[in-house]
Amino acid sequence: MERTFSRSLDSLGDIVSFLKGAADTLSLDEKTRFAVNMAVEELFTNMIKYGKGGDDSIEVGLEKENSRLIIRLVDPNSEPFDLTDLQAVDTSAPLEERRPGGLGIHLVKCLMDEVRYEYKNRVTRIRLVKNI
Amino acid sequence: MFQIHRVSDSEIRLVGHFDASHQATAAEVFDSIKESCSVRFDELDYVSSAGLSVLLYTQQRLSKDGGALKLTGMNPHVRLVFEYAGFDQIFKIE
Repeated sequence: MERTFSRSLDSLGDIVSFLKGAADTLSLDEKTRFAVNMAVEELFTNMIKYGKGGDDSIEVGLEKENSRLIIRLVDPNSEPFDLTDLQAVDTSAPLEERRPGGLGIHLVKCLMDEVRYEYKNRVTRIRLVKNI
Repeated sequence: MFQIHRVSDSEIRLVGHFDASHQATAAEVFDSIKESCSVRFDELDYVSSAGLSVLLYTQQRLSKDGGALKLTGMNPHVRLVFEYAGFDQIFKIE
């Protein structure tokens, strides 16, 4: 299952609807639904904020391979932003030293079993795996 | 769908799906808080990192005057997000 979404935070509502339909079709449990929803929303938002792409839409796809859920996000026209190479978030720092930067990607890494980033010819491809 | 209700000077109620598209709306309400406040999560299904950042900024601002947010009624999924973020160490969660 896949669908493209316009590069705007206003697409988040449509993404939630798409993921709900896909989760129903794939019979995903509540915990997996929540994880998928969060991972896709965080990465989509990141692509809009930091991908500096043009007007091209972003593709989101889901498929089940045995006991693995594969999630793909493709931005066809973007600047490089390797989310697998970011500095780790210090989740034990005192309140006054906390910063929100990088928190979304940190959560994606916590929720997913594999996170892969690929950038070639201005195309960003992110592939996530969630064991189910 | 997301809603934020200022129930009283010391209570906020969050409802629905709190993602990046609602960050500005929520920030406006949280910015109006001047002292310690209880935030009810019992009708909130989801919160993204954008929502967490609004709560973080508010907690940091209130703490300068000795205030704090108290978060209540989280569902297990939302609670897990707070734990992954290490926010269970900087917020009082009941």
